[in-house]
Amino acid sequence: MTLDAKMHIDEGTATIRLSGELDGRSAPRLNLLISDAVAAQVRRLVLLVSDVTYMSSAGIRCLLFAHQKLPRGAEIVLVGTRQEVAETIRMTGFDRTVVMQESVERESAEA
Amino acid sequence: MIGCRLRLDAGASFAGRVAEFVLTLARTGTLHTRQAYWLRLAADEITTNIAQHGYGGRGGVIDLEGGVETDRVWVRVEDDAPPFDPTRYDPAPRLAADPALREEGGYGLLLALGRLDEFVYDRVGGRNRNILVMRRTPREGE
Repeated sequence: MTLDAKMHIDEGTATIRLSGELDGRSAPRLNLLISDAVAAQVRRLVLLVSDVTYMSSAGIRCLLFAHQKLPRGAEIVLVGTRQEVAETIRMTGFDRTVVMQESVERESAEA
Repeated sequence: MIGCRLRLDAGASFAGRVAEFVLTLARTGTLHTRQAYWLRLAADEITTNIAQHGYGGRGGVIDLEGGVETDRVWVRVEDDAPPFDPTRYDPAPRLAADPALREEGGYGLLLALGRLDEFVYDRVGGRNRNILVMRRTPREGE
C-alpha cells in the first residue's frame, strides 16, 4: 500500500493530509512536501493522519526532519493519530515536541 | 506447526514482501490486529536495519522463516552480516536529546523490540539470528 499525500499552504500554515502507509518506501515523499513547506517559510505544520494505517521508524525520521528544518519554535501538529501510530510517537519521545490532537474541524476543512 | 520461508535480497526493495509474509503468518495464527501490527513493524525494522547497517546498503541475503505453534507465532530472521545483537542497543541517550538536535537513526530497533512478547538474538553458524515472538491468546470457541 502506498502513501497518498496532499499539501495546502495558507497563512504560514502547511497542512498535509496523509493516507496509507508511512514507511521507508513512502517517507521520502513526505520529506519532499516538508521541504516545500520549509521553502514557503511556514511556522506551523499540520499533519492530518487519521488515514495513516502504518508508520515505521521512517515516519519518525520525517518528524525529526521537520523539527530540524522548520524554524525554531515552529509548531508541528498531528491530527487524528491512530492508536498504534500514536504509540510509536510516544515510544520515541516525540509526543513531547509535537501537538497531538484527536480531531480538529478547522484543520480538516483546510486540506 | 505451520511454517513458511522467504529469502530476500537486502539490496532490493523488500518491505512489501516482509509485510505480506508477516501479516499472512499473523492471520494464520489468528493474532489480534494490534499484535499483527507490532509483529510486522518489528520484522520491518529488523530487516531494514540489517540491509542498511548490517550490509551497509551493499546487498546480501536475509532469510525469514515463520511458524505458528499452539501458544505463539514466531518469525526468525537470519543474515550473514557482521555480528550484531539488537538487545544490546541502548536508545536512552538518543531519547534524552532535544529532537531538533537528535541523530537521524536508532529508532527502528527501539520500535522493533518495544512491543514483542519475546525477542531472542543468537549467533549461529556464523549468522545473526533474530527471533521475534507474539503469544497467541485463545479466542472464543478455541
